[in-house]
Amino acid sequence: MQKPPLKAVPERFQVAARTLFFDKFMTGLIMIGGISIIVAVFFIFVFIGAKTLPLFRSADIEAKAVFALPDEAFIFLGIDEWREVPYFVSENADIYFVDLEMESKDYENRGTFRLPNNLPDDFVVSHISLNTITDEIRVGSEDGRFTIIDVNYRPTYPADTGRIIEPSLSILPILNIGREGHPILELRYGSRGNRRLAAAIQEVDGRTELHAVTLAQRRGLFAAGELTEDRRFDLTELMRDTPTQILISYEADSILVAYESGEVDYLFLTSTGFSLRQSFTPFEDSVEPGIVSMDFVLGDVSIVVTNSKGEMRVWSVYLDPDTSTRVFGHTKTFPALETPASYFSASRRNKAFLKGSENFASLRFMTTEDIRWEGTLPFNAVKGFITPRYDGMIFLDDSNHLHFWDLDDEHPIAGWTSYFRRIAYEGRQGEIYDWQSSGPVEFERKLSLVPLIIGTMKGTFYAMLVAVPIALLSAIYVSQFLRPSLKRVVKPTMEIMASLPSVVLGFFAALWLSPLISNAVPSVVLGITGLFAGALIIGIGWGRLPNHIRLRIPNGTEFIVVAIPAFVVGVMGWNLGVRIEDWLFLQYDADLEREVGSFRLWVVNTLGMDFETRNAFVVGFAMGFAVIPIIFTISEDALSNVPKSFQSGSLALGASRWQTAIRVILPTAAAGIFSALMIGFGRAIGETMIMVMATGNAVVQDFNPFTGMRTLSANIAVELSEAEKDGTLYRTLFLCAMILFLFTFTLNTIAEVLRQWLRKRFRAVE
Amino acid sequence: MSHSIRTNRNVMTKQADAANDSDAELRGDIIQIKDYNFFYDQNSQVLFNLNMEIPERKVTAFIGPSGCGKSTLLRNLNRMNDLIDGIRHEGDILIDGHSIYDPLLEVISLRKRIGMVFQKSNPFPKTIYENIVYSLRVAGRSKKSELDETVERSLKAAALWDEVKDRLNQSAFGLSGGQMQRLCIARAIANSPEILLMDEPCSALDPIATGKIEELIHELKKDYTIVIVTHNMQQAARVSDRTAFFYLGKLIEYNDTESIFMNPKNPQTEAYVSGRFG
Ligand SMILES: Nc1ncnc2c1ncn2[C@@H]1O[C@H](COP(=O)(O)OP(=O)(O)OP(=O)(O)O)[C@@H](O)[C@H]1O
Ligand SMILES: [Mg+2]
Repeated sequence: MQKPPLKAVPERFQVAARTLFFDKFMTGLIMIGGISIIVAVFFIFVFIGAKTLPLFRSADIEAKAVFALPDEAFIFLGIDEWREVPYFVSENADIYFVDLEMESKDYENRGTFRLPNNLPDDFVVSHISLNTITDEIRVGSEDGRFTIIDVNYRPTYPADTGRIIEPSLSILPILNIGREGHPILELRYGSRGNRRLAAAIQEVDGRTELHAVTLAQRRGLFAAGELTEDRRFDLTELMRDTPTQILISYEADSILVAYESGEVDYLFLTSTGFSLRQSFTPFEDSVEPGIVSMDFVLGDVSIVVTNSKGEMRVWSVYLDPDTSTRVFGHTKTFPALETPASYFSASRRNKAFLKGSENFASLRFMTTEDIRWEGTLPFNAVKGFITPRYDGMIFLDDSNHLHFWDLDDEHPIAGWTSYFRRIAYEGRQGEIYDWQSSGPVEFERKLSLVPLIIGTMKGTFYAMLVAVPIALLSAIYVSQFLRPSLKRVVKPTMEIMASLPSVVLGFFAALWLSPLISNAVPSVVLGITGLFAGALIIGIGWGRLPNHIRLRIPNGTEFIVVAIPAFVVGVMGWNLGVRIEDWLFLQYDADLEREVGSFRLWVVNTLGMDFETRNAFVVGFAMGFAVIPIIFTISEDALSNVPKSFQSGSLALGASRWQTAIRVILPTAAAGIFSALMIGFGRAIGETMIMVMATGNAVVQDFNPFTGMRTLSANIAVELSEAEKDGTLYRTLFLCAMILFLFTFTLNTIAEVLRQWLRKRFRAVE
Repeated sequence: MSHSIRTNRNVMTKQADAANDSDAELRGDIIQIKDYNFFYDQNSQVLFNLNMEIPERKVTAFIGPSGCGKSTLLRNLNRMNDLIDGIRHEGDILIDGHSIYDPLLEVISLRKRIGMVFQKSNPFPKTIYENIVYSLRVAGRSKKSELDETVERSLKAAALWDEVKDRLNQSAFGLSGGQMQRLCIARAIANSPEILLMDEPCSALDPIATGKIEELIHELKKDYTIVIVTHNMQQAARVSDRTAFFYLGKLIEYNDTESIFMNPKNPQTEAYVSGRFG
């Protein structure tokens, strides 16, 4: 069959090219806009995700290089932070340096060289050990003398060459400890400021003795004088068994002594000498309680102990609230090593440590009990050492080779445990959630997101508590009762309120509202109750008034009748609050030295709760201002958009306006109101400035209305300036953002599903 | 306290008393409109100096060209126009001799007394059952047996019972347009009002549904005073006892339906009913 030939379309039926073009153009534009929004959101998601992913990676290691060492019996090694000039310590305290010239340098390789250790010929080494955190080599002699050799590095920049790392040794004078003429078996040393403490296990005629000495720097007239012995302590009497290990923290105020039995004594130095503060047995419940190794991780607050079965535990100092002394408590248990460990090296950047023996090595992170890396080495290591910047590991093998490994572990503390699990932190009793992101390098970072999430929920909860009733009631009132002419004024005013910058609200809340409210909680509560009670009483009374009075008031202006008396009752409530405070909440004020009516002190003293000036109560009000206009505007629209025919239908059936609003209008607008609530909720969750300014930003985990909170968003704002790019904190803040994102995303998805359901259920006739 | 117009004569007992009352009293004028002027705002007067009486238990039809104020007058009878900002009226409307503007009168009680069916059916987004019992619920009556009885009675009266009796708990939006309109009528008579106002109840319906509703009006006439606005001359002629013709807000002619259609006195009326009028 043939189609009839296409007739020319008459001019008047033709569509103008411009119309067509604009139609196509606008369709395309709108489509591009829509798609780019979706793509943008998706990319933000991917971007944030990419920023957080490295947090959950474990350590990567890679063999870098092997170097042959001079033919000496080395037993310790260490390296500078630029990873160029490692040092090796031989059995008799000879210290060698090797210039690795890792990156190509245009100066001459210094090769292997030795720095003099200044030990006299009669100093026969009986003990030598290395503090892997401070590079201090502790040397004890057969005749009861000791010294500390500190390895230092300094970068120099000679002309025409690159950077040269210049090692040097600073050596303490040779001093006596314990009984002269008897060999030192173990030696430890700690110094902080002017305090210096050394302790030694000494063998005296087949018995072991325990000695300590404090050192003092005599001040000369012009310069600091020599270090000399200050006080000697014979701790042998305090010994309860044969000591095998000792430890001194850099605080230099205590000694830990481990005995053969597996017990550890915590001896504390006071002005009168050492006294036993605590005895504990780290492996009390193990078949092998004997301690093989005992070492500090960075900060000298926690000890890592192992026994002969390779079991590994961490004990940390915490403040015992009962006795208010600092004692050790068992905080972590690591998976056992396969063989008893032979070496230990603590990281100087974080709480990681390396523990290993023979060809097995394990890099572990104390705070999170996490094994960052663990594996078999292709050689038998005598010693291992974490490079100072926590970017490599060096091993000394049993055939005098140095093995250089790269370590890629940017975020050792990060991980599921750190963010979401209770952790026993150093210095704190029990396992807790806490956020404390920065401090000195030896400070244990606390990165739990749980209190932030709780804080977010708390802030949102109080904001919604204030905002939802007010916003919904006013939306119902304005859409259903208020005179249309007044509504035309009220609605835009509320919309202007919505555009009030939150920093202004936060400023107001912090400086004006929070002192006002915090000092007058009963008044605020009673004032608000009074306001509502007043309105209610007027409402009831109004219904009972004779018609000829009542019907004088034109429809839609009743609020004047209600508002003024309600306000009066509110003010009465406020004043009553002051009375009640003076009457019920009398508290002794230590500053004024007399009884004052203070709800605030009452909360603290009687309820035993915290009270902060910038608290959730205040945030509720301030956030209310931010959230109310949004919920109000959107739900008012939803209510007003309910077809007028429903309203007239209901009224014509003899329903009152309130009945109409509640029974017909509200259910019909339910989907829209629900959206309004969700959008308000989203605003409350994400609101930052008010939260930053009107709360103390202290981390909380309770819903106490009288304390502040720290929300995820506020946390990002507050910590951003401290976060080094791509550092752990930086990425953790992205994780906070991600959680916020997921929060709102899930919520909105659920909300949308619910909304669709509501919409279907209360759908109006199309 | 609510003041109803007839404090001594309750709506519910009216039907029972009806047999004893004399016909003359029953067929008295229930609605009296006196010198009534109505303004939507200061400058736009919509109704001009209306004077008319509407008899009890009869069907009175309002006819007239579009925009002449029929709906406005109808909506003033139960004060539905009160919701509009800036309205004003002069004159008075009496129902059973009492002004509907009496300050002592509760609007709600007036509206309970005067049911209304709108041009566009407007069932609530609720079940059929809940739509019918709405007027009882808002009056605080919730006895199950009474509600059930009301639903059945109203739906039967609105000739809808057989069609929906198995789906009372389904959404009213599942009904057809004609069914919805009958549902609205059933809803309007659930609380047994005295007067039923209908604003073009059949304008959106097909002839069959229209026929059903007209039959219904015939039935309802026994118990209710009905005022119906219609653009359909045949319909006015078929269902009404009396017809009022409005033009530009004025009552042009008001008489027995037969006289209006057969023997109109006013040439405008004649032109309109014979379809020669724009
Ligand atoms: N809410 C209102 N505000 C102002 N003017 C109105 C309003 N409602 C109706 N009017 C005006 O009042 C006049 C009468 O309107 P009304 O609805 O009573 O006419 P009608 O006779 O019912 O017409 P139709 O047969 O088309 O329904 C019209 O001129 C209309 O524009
Ligand atoms: Mg009309």
